[in-house]
Amino acid sequence: MAINKDKNSYTIIFAIIMVVVVGSLLAFAAEGLKSNINENKRIEKQQNILYALGINENDESSAVFVSKDVVAESFAKNVTKQVVIQGANATEDPEAYLIDVKKEKSLAKDDSYQRRLPLFISETSTGTYYVAPIRGKGLWDAIWGYVALDKDMVIKGVYFDHKGETPGLGANIKQRFFMDDFSGEHLNDEAGNFTGVAVAKGNNDPKNERKTDNRVDAIAGSTITGNGVTAMIKDELKLYIPYFKTLKNN
Amino acid sequence: MGLLSKKDAKLIMDPLLDDNPITIQVLGICSALAITAELEASIVMAVSVMFVLGVGNVVISLMRNVIPSKIRIIVQLVVVATLVIIVDLVLKAFAYELSKTLSVFVGLIITNCIIMGRFEAFALANKPWRSFLDGIGNSFGYGLILIIVGFFRELLGSGTLLGIKVLGDPIELTGVYAYGYENNGFMLLSPMALIIVGLIIWVQRSKNKTLIEDE
Amino acid sequence: MEHLELFFKSIFIDNMVFATFLGMCSYLAVSKKVTTAVGLGAAVIFVLAVTVPLNWLLDHYILQPDALVWLDGNSETPKLSAYYGYDLSFLSFILFIATIATMVQLVEIIVEKFSPSLYNSLGIFLPLIAVNCAILGGSLFMQSREIETLGLALNYGVSSGIGWFLAIVAIAAIREKIRYSNVPAPLRGLGITFIITGLMAIGFMSFGGMLTTDGNKEEAAVEVTETKTEVLQEGKTESTQIVEVSKITKE
Repeated sequence: MAINKDKNSYTIIFAIIMVVVVGSLLAFAAEGLKSNINENKRIEKQQNILYALGINENDESSAVFVSKDVVAESFAKNVTKQVVIQGANATEDPEAYLIDVKKEKSLAKDDSYQRRLPLFISETSTGTYYVAPIRGKGLWDAIWGYVALDKDMVIKGVYFDHKGETPGLGANIKQRFFMDDFSGEHLNDEAGNFTGVAVAKGNNDPKNERKTDNRVDAIAGSTITGNGVTAMIKDELKLYIPYFKTLKNN
Repeated sequence: MGLLSKKDAKLIMDPLLDDNPITIQVLGICSALAITAELEASIVMAVSVMFVLGVGNVVISLMRNVIPSKIRIIVQLVVVATLVIIVDLVLKAFAYELSKTLSVFVGLIITNCIIMGRFEAFALANKPWRSFLDGIGNSFGYGLILIIVGFFRELLGSGTLLGIKVLGDPIELTGVYAYGYENNGFMLLSPMALIIVGLIIWVQRSKNKTLIEDE
Repeated sequence: MEHLELFFKSIFIDNMVFATFLGMCSYLAVSKKVTTAVGLGAAVIFVLAVTVPLNWLLDHYILQPDALVWLDGNSETPKLSAYYGYDLSFLSFILFIATIATMVQLVEIIVEKFSPSLYNSLGIFLPLIAVNCAILGGSLFMQSREIETLGLALNYGVSSGIGWFLAIVAIAAIREKIRYSNVPAPLRGLGITFIITGLMAIGFMSFGGMLTTDGNKEEAAVEVTETKTEVLQEGKTESTQIVEVSKITKE
């Protein structure tokens, strides 16, 4: 070819073309697909909240959400009230589930900021439950989830998810054999003090029959992810204690 | 193989054993260790790498005459990253469930040195069709090791294969567990993957003595 | 204190090679001799020390959601900014990689120009580093672990580099010595290196007990005291309802 590929000018021009092409390609893809992706994320949030409440289409052993077609309807029926807790105030907000927990968490590092805590309340014939979103860190990246509680802070159900935990190990926090263990666990110890639920090794309770021990069985080979789950439950849910105290007093 | 000439067939067959990317070329080790605790994850990873390496090799091969040598590494990395990110975005928009399963692998694919290694060693100097075959062949060889390691780690570590309890239930004590068998939880930890790969190398090189290194 | 903790944590507990298995390819391929291992290790420390803080800046001022608000001077009141609401985080992979590849090639050019002797000892390793996943891993960990300040990012880069350096020098020293041992022929070279690395990683796991957070300490203490009551309860749980057991212990 006639062009001298080693010339600096050629290299620079090539780099510029490359940047423009790749940049516009990515920006185009990201922008063009944004509405679809956001819609999917919104549906997923609703599905997760419903899952924590025990509304799902689980088969024998795997976790299955309610299908996309009925999720909006089911969400409207089962999540009867959404509140945002900020300090001592709890205000109703029908779009509380769209609050970005990650953003709130990072804003709250600044002490002057009062973190907005969303809480989803389900008042149906089966009882009244409160679902709180939680977020923390696993081995590789972020982990998050939703915990459904009754007014005594006993867990009704949970849903966990992760961004990039090790497949086959830490990634198993979103498997039923792990999540199911949390149902019925008490967040308070026997004296009524908040302790959370620890993901513990050597628990000697593989069938998880002791619900009041504040512990569930860990997944073999994923200690750090398990510790992340323990910390996430403890650190995030303790922020809701004042609200649950006022519930009790009323 | 009527479709492929002898030379082309060699491109596919060689990386399976005698020029295996993991055990001979020492490429793509990180991911081989990270995701082989489960057979299913190994298979998913193998298929994803096959896609990225096949397509990436063709793209790089098409561009091979215009890439300035000074910045070729950046160009290669950018091409593979763009490819993976676009696929990830499209999946997120149209097949959300699938993308949830695959999103974990995105980072691992971009940083997988098998991809850079083949770009540099083959696609930069060969025509698109041959580069494509090279990509497919190498990802087969890579996938083969992943699947062997995943098979042993899942079977011995959790007593399951593809999530199915083939050895019985360890909690209800059925199957072999009734006779006092226990899962070896150690198999689930990454160091065991290293040791299994070491053993595979041992087997492979005892079969084919020409591969033995003399130090 | 924060710095010291991060420093030791990244070298020993979260060692790039033994805990997260990053940068394995060059680790296995370039560890036949201690001198070359030292060269590559030093280059990795250097590149990590440059790219992690650089990518931290990129992450904080360009990529994160609403990070662009400083552009029109509204960083105190982000909502007023014309750049509020932009989220460029989908670009993070590609920008991090580009920074790394650019830095590696820049470093190569600069070192070649000003210190030919250093270039001769480092030179051949620099292109290898661009494809070393430990480098990208460093930047991605920095992002996902939400490291808060530029100083900590620099610390993180340097210390994880030192951890990688230690690992490769250690394995190279072992490989130099193992040449005098009677290793089965098919295992010689790569095979035995894999197995030794596995054993070393198992050894490094024991560092996991260092520097545990307060939460874990509390938990350990509880475990000791609880084992006794657990044994007592064991027989009862099988026959009686769980609720009853908790009542008994309460009384």
